[in-house]
Amino acid sequence: MSTDVTEASEETLLRPITSLSRGYLVALGLGCAAIAFWLAFYVQQLYHGLIVTNLGDWGTGGGVPWGLYIGAFIWWVGIAHGGIILSAAVRLIGLDTYQPVARIAELLTIAALSCAGLFILIHVGRPDRLVTAVIPAWPTRVQWSPLMWDVTVITAYFVLTGTYLMMTVRYDIHRLRERLPDTFDRIYDLLLVGYSEAEDEVVERMVWWLAFAIIIMAPLLLHGGVIPWLFAVLPSMAGWHGGVQGPSFLSIALTSAVSGIIVIAAAFRWAYDWKRLIPDEIFRGLAKWLGFFGLMFLWLQLQQVLTGIFAAPTTLQHATEVKVSTPLYWVAIGLVALALVYIFASALEPSLFSIPRIVVTALAVLVGTLIEKTLFVVEGIQHAHFQLYDGVPGPYTPSLVELSSVVGTIGIVVLFFLVVSKVIPVVELHAIESDHEEVER
Amino acid sequence: MIPLASVPDYMLPFVGPGTYLIFGIVLLPVYLMLAGWLLGSPRERTPTLLGVGYLVGITTALWGGLFVVTMVIKFAFF
Repeated sequence: MSTDVTEASEETLLRPITSLSRGYLVALGLGCAAIAFWLAFYVQQLYHGLIVTNLGDWGTGGGVPWGLYIGAFIWWVGIAHGGIILSAAVRLIGLDTYQPVARIAELLTIAALSCAGLFILIHVGRPDRLVTAVIPAWPTRVQWSPLMWDVTVITAYFVLTGTYLMMTVRYDIHRLRERLPDTFDRIYDLLLVGYSEAEDEVVERMVWWLAFAIIIMAPLLLHGGVIPWLFAVLPSMAGWHGGVQGPSFLSIALTSAVSGIIVIAAAFRWAYDWKRLIPDEIFRGLAKWLGFFGLMFLWLQLQQVLTGIFAAPTTLQHATEVKVSTPLYWVAIGLVALALVYIFASALEPSLFSIPRIVVTALAVLVGTLIEKTLFVVEGIQHAHFQLYDGVPGPYTPSLVELSSVVGTIGIVVLFFLVVSKVIPVVELHAIESDHEEVER
Repeated sequence: MIPLASVPDYMLPFVGPGTYLIFGIVLLPVYLMLAGWLLGSPRERTPTLLGVGYLVGITTALWGGLFVVTMVIKFAFF
């Protein structure tokens, strides 16, 4: 089944590129302000070091060395995943209903993955450490270090996603070239290098294979694999260890990613009057996926809590008891549970459904998943198997420096969409072409 | 210890669980994708080269860019 948006014209599709509204400028200003807010704090961190955060060196400074930065890293990687998975599913298994939001999802992947990378850059203190620590060590440490696995696979994932976008955008730009602004001619020339219409069929087949690689790698081997393995393979942290972290991380990734797509697609629909291009039924469909993934998230939390408090090894029992006695954990669970209640209710009674309500629901889920992941990181470290530093660590509260980085990265994503939507169509031309047929690989 | 996590000394430091995991399992979809590009039909040289060019180019731009930033930091501040 596909969404019929063929009534929408090319003019509708190109509205973000051809129009400039006051709302756009306000959003641009807010995005820049959010980034400036973070940079003001980040400069302090660069100048004084990580001491300006509440992160401490374990055993010397108290608290925990991993906190909101790592929680936000996992959160952004998770958001990145669902985006490209949705887009790949459109191409791979003919989930054409979501074609109008496929490119928004791809762009969200690139923006969110960049933010995830930025958090690693921020977290290591001196930005040059990313290169000086990773490059020389990679050839001999990729064999053993989950951190090196992480860097390898995230790079591969970023490259696959970038290639996917670059190859699919050629079709649209070539056909819309006459209507695109001359200002960006050089960019379009570069994107269209060597293009001929004869390549379309070949490129469709290549993109099918890209989607194939992405849809296996992203859920099973990255957010259900390498990212949770950063934690799950460490037996010394009871709250982190175990195979359940793979599916658990994946459920959180998909839940937050669908939420991200809902928020951004709704913003474009509202800003450019895209009721026909991104109709209600897409949001209803996304809401059902959000409900399904949210249910998986809660189910996997239940698995962890039950196995952690019912006759568990002592340290795991302790870690789980800490988890369930943390009020903020229940805020996170409650936000996702409330979202499920609304989605279930609106499925039973369709009149309850509205775009603003599903956007609020999606935002609640995004907040809930960020809280859960940050607590996972912090509490896992605070309640390790060994007791060497029992007398040293203090409580952890995210500093304004860390909180500002979340605001800043949200600003980066806003700015990214505002800039990119002025250059390339954020909805694929295929979405409004009635004669588009799937190409056999 | 299971073989995946331990190897004879003479194989160190280049073989460990990550060797099998990253190159044998995690990157397998990428190998299949490349095989699909190169061996599937219909195929054409220009788009295939373009695809490979993007893979190599984006990787280089990403880490090359970070390397340049690192050098700038080194010479500007240290």
